[in-house]
Amino acid sequence: MTRRILSGVLGVVIALVVGAIIMLIEGYEPLATYGALAQFSLGGIGPLTTTLKNSVPLVLTGLSAAIAFASGPVNLGQPGQLVFGALAATLGGLYISLPPVLEIPLLLLLAIAGGALWSGLAGLMKQAFGMSEFIVTLMLNMIADFFTAWVIAYPLMDRKAFSPMTPPIARSGWMPDIGPLNSSVLLMLAAVVVMWFVFQRWRAGYEWRITGQNSLFARLGGCDVRGNFMAVMLVTGALAGLAGGLVVMGGPHRFLKGLGANYAWDGIMIAIMANNGLVETLIYGVFVAAIQTGALGMELITNVPSEIAQVLQAVLVLVIVATREYAAVVFDRLAARRQARERAA
Amino acid sequence: MNIIVGLITGMISGATPILLAALGGAFTFYAGIFNIAMEGMMLMAAFFAVLGSFLFHSWLVGLLFAIAGAMILALIFIFFSVTLNTDEFVTGIALNLFALGSTTYLLRQIFKVKGVFTSKLIDSIPNIHFPLIEKIPLLGPVVSGRNLIVYLAVIATIFCYYLVFKTRFGLRLRAAGYNPNSLDSSGVRTSRMRIQSLLLCAVFCGLAGAFLSLGYVTLFAENMTAGRGWISLAAIILVDGHPYGIALISLLFGFFDGLGLFLQGYGVSSQFTSMVPYIATLGALYVYARRNRERERNAL
Amino acid sequence: MDDFISLEHMVKVYPPRVLAVDNVSVGFQKGEIHSIVGENGAGKSTLMKLLYGLVPFDSGVVKINGAAVHFRKPGDAIAMGIGMVHQEIELISQYTVWENVVLGAEPVRGGIGGTLDSARAIELVRRKIDEFQFNLDPSAQVERISVAALQKVEILKLLYRNVSVLILDEPTSVLTPQEIPQLFAELKRLRDKGTTILFISHRLDEVLELSDRITVMRRGKKIATVAASETDKEALAEMMIGRQVIFTSKRTPHPRGDRVFEAKGLSVTRHDGLKLLDNVSFSVHAGEIVGIAGVEGNGQFELVNSVMGLAAPTSGSITVNGGEITKLSILERRKLISFVPQDRGKMGASLPASILDNAIMTHHRLEPRFSAWRGLVLNYRNARAFTDTLAKRFSVQMASRQSPFRSLSGGNQQKLILGREFLLSTPFFLMDQPTRGLDVGSIEYVHGEILSMREANRAVLLISADLEELFLIADRILVMHRGRIVADLVAEQTNIEEVGRYMLEGKITA
Repeated sequence: MTRRILSGVLGVVIALVVGAIIMLIEGYEPLATYGALAQFSLGGIGPLTTTLKNSVPLVLTGLSAAIAFASGPVNLGQPGQLVFGALAATLGGLYISLPPVLEIPLLLLLAIAGGALWSGLAGLMKQAFGMSEFIVTLMLNMIADFFTAWVIAYPLMDRKAFSPMTPPIARSGWMPDIGPLNSSVLLMLAAVVVMWFVFQRWRAGYEWRITGQNSLFARLGGCDVRGNFMAVMLVTGALAGLAGGLVVMGGPHRFLKGLGANYAWDGIMIAIMANNGLVETLIYGVFVAAIQTGALGMELITNVPSEIAQVLQAVLVLVIVATREYAAVVFDRLAARRQARERAA
Repeated sequence: MNIIVGLITGMISGATPILLAALGGAFTFYAGIFNIAMEGMMLMAAFFAVLGSFLFHSWLVGLLFAIAGAMILALIFIFFSVTLNTDEFVTGIALNLFALGSTTYLLRQIFKVKGVFTSKLIDSIPNIHFPLIEKIPLLGPVVSGRNLIVYLAVIATIFCYYLVFKTRFGLRLRAAGYNPNSLDSSGVRTSRMRIQSLLLCAVFCGLAGAFLSLGYVTLFAENMTAGRGWISLAAIILVDGHPYGIALISLLFGFFDGLGLFLQGYGVSSQFTSMVPYIATLGALYVYARRNRERERNAL
Repeated sequence: MDDFISLEHMVKVYPPRVLAVDNVSVGFQKGEIHSIVGENGAGKSTLMKLLYGLVPFDSGVVKINGAAVHFRKPGDAIAMGIGMVHQEIELISQYTVWENVVLGAEPVRGGIGGTLDSARAIELVRRKIDEFQFNLDPSAQVERISVAALQKVEILKLLYRNVSVLILDEPTSVLTPQEIPQLFAELKRLRDKGTTILFISHRLDEVLELSDRITVMRRGKKIATVAASETDKEALAEMMIGRQVIFTSKRTPHPRGDRVFEAKGLSVTRHDGLKLLDNVSFSVHAGEIVGIAGVEGNGQFELVNSVMGLAAPTSGSITVNGGEITKLSILERRKLISFVPQDRGKMGASLPASILDNAIMTHHRLEPRFSAWRGLVLNYRNARAFTDTLAKRFSVQMASRQSPFRSLSGGNQQKLILGREFLLSTPFFLMDQPTRGLDVGSIEYVHGEILSMREANRAVLLISADLEELFLIADRILVMHRGRIVADLVAEQTNIEEVGRYMLEGKITA
């Protein structure tokens, strides 16, 4: 446990140092840049609540990827499932108007169904025809992207807007603010808690975990491997769909062009950094949200372009994972060498 | 008549980047690396091709820059995956993100634009004309007048086949994938074969990227590879890496790519025509999975 | 006579802290057959891998002809004339014999990447085959030749590189009793031509027959080096294990009960028409241990898959307690069948999961006490209590229930799996090589537990490649050969030679 935290912190530190070196080469002041980054993401209630709100889609898609990877299915379809969830919630919000107590749960359910529909399609192709979900989900991402682009450019386009987008959804479907904090953050935390319980305490979660580690053993042990595969696809699609719904309902309240692209691979990346741990996904999700949020502010006061956040993110993934795996090897090797020296003496 | 020629030339243009990237990926496939970084390598190459060509007003320099750009990713891949033993899938995903992030960043840093960069100063890769062949009806306009990279891709396919199946290098390369322990105990280091395969992959992806930004069009756009690296990965998996099989599959995808453009001319909206290659990939996967399943059923 | 190769004070610790070789010094002379014996895990393979440069050592010196050398990779050792054939055959099944032999030292004609000169390669390989009278076809596809032939290819691969020292790691474990003398004759012929042979084994009879000198290892330490002519099996066994071992069966007569398991006309046909399992019929009764002998790859794999439900047989039926099971799901079968697979890490457990998670597998579906909320939630309190009971009853040494399964030693892993399956309380027990890779203490424990299952009137089917094991505990021995059961013998009325003959030839010829 301590070793896990240690190698995680070490990874982040090394990644930030690598990022600083890149900034130095580019002629920027690393300390000032990181300072600005932190100031605009964590410095005070305003930035902090913005960071938390921005972390919602990151954590939820991260959770989706982490549960999928830890259970076996290589579901890389979070981007597509997210836009389908967003589209379903938008459709509901455009055509149905109910009081908030009914409207909000309804739209959330629609978002969940939208995401599950798109992941279920991939799951079905695997179950029925044996098509690898790895490439299928990737292709479905592209198709979902083009499909939603068409929907907001033709049938649902807001004629008054300059770029393709839908009209705003019903006011009763907006996620309310609780003080400075948007309620979508609470929903995200609830999702983490529920998923942790399912994964660690439910019988299904037990079978998912074991199947992800060794599916032949699980199969021989009597686990319903096929059923579990479909269940995991649906649940992880639902999580990504929920993320999409909350992006629309908590933020711009409409489906904007390129809505999905911003979160495309972030969830997968966060799950990888978190080594598919659920609590770790929450932590790294907020961390990445802080970088993305801070980058926009940073651009205003330093002259570092916000796109550097994207570079920094990729460096983070690589360095954190490499550090974690390499640290384990080094720790073991050090222990071995110590013992060998004793024996040789 | 013109429609057919148009469709075929469209098919060839669509197939070329996928073919080159897949040939590159085939080397790593045979070496036993789960390499999904073709997308990123191509994107880096596309950017650096424009950069080199813009700075030196020479497509040749652009081409060299493209290969160097893809090579940067290959070297990072080697450092993490081969040297530090980081998971190949993770390394590949991170590198694709890195390519997307850094080309977007550099686009803004160097050219001061967001989205797309184009300029009259960029020298594109020339088309090659064969005066004699050009006169032949139907065949002439298809075979002659294509981009230099297209002809390179044809040569590359044959070269790739020869290298993999007829040489000492190929024997060792495939051994690295089939049974690395056996290769190691034969006195050849598997890691060395893997490094060489990644470098070769970078050269081929470099050509593919250069074709995208200096051949197909003359500009660089953010994320302009648009999933072509993934399609090339699918092509490799579908034919188990065989170069001639890859050529065939690439032409098939190229055909659907061209078909999409063609349909656009008939008023089908571009969002739907753009989906065609991805749906075609799903179709190909379906055929592959069914064939596999039948084989499996017979096996039991 | 000075040592040709000497290893001095070799130490190897596998990370994090497995002491595999503990300060071992030993010398080998030119042109001798020198055996290294020891139990599984005694460090004999590791010691040879250190010499071969396959595994880096932590301290020590390797000397050849008195000069210190340091091999960083097997290629360095091969260049100095030292070659090793591993226990697991490491050939490329997609390649032909000649491609496997020349790999790494290929004749080429030049050009980019070096164009292979296949005609010359085949000729060179053929010449080597003739020189050593190996009876192989250089152009044969490796996946189609027998295990004994594979081993010859491995040896040929080294002879092609002109090695003068051959290290062989347990080469007889994949051979039938009748194939072994042929291998020994070939090895002795090689020795007489001046080759030094280092032979790793734990089969004492073979070692005594073949070797000039023998080095005994135990728990990473060297115990002694003795001349084969000056020792015997009992003395070697005592050095190997550290105490006296009894080579006799502890089996006592036990009445057999009703028929529990029955296979009838079981066949599995491959897509090309080859019958992997050919009309197999037999039964196992309560309170009986039935052993299946046979060289690996003669249908045992298909039999296990058919019984467990991993693959459907082409035809035939399997019944347990009178009920047909071939149409049942795996979970339904597990109500009737306990199963100990041959590969713990692949089929018997999840290595990264906790000991608790591994202990409750299958139980979590079959026993209501592990469920709450109508099976939605697992009852972890009962699972913890169950894990502790299991560990205590089957004496599993563990740091904590939550430690990963892979932190257990091989013997403790097997005890946990055995206990889990034992506690399923099923009438039929299928065991596939349950003692593979275990030390003598653990093997004795497993045998004891199998015999106690017999006492508890359960029907046991034991698949084993180790004939001595079968003769120690089985009541009846069935021999499998090319997918068929070619003999059904009562253990008391047969002997190892007879079973061996059936394993090799499928029938007894005069």
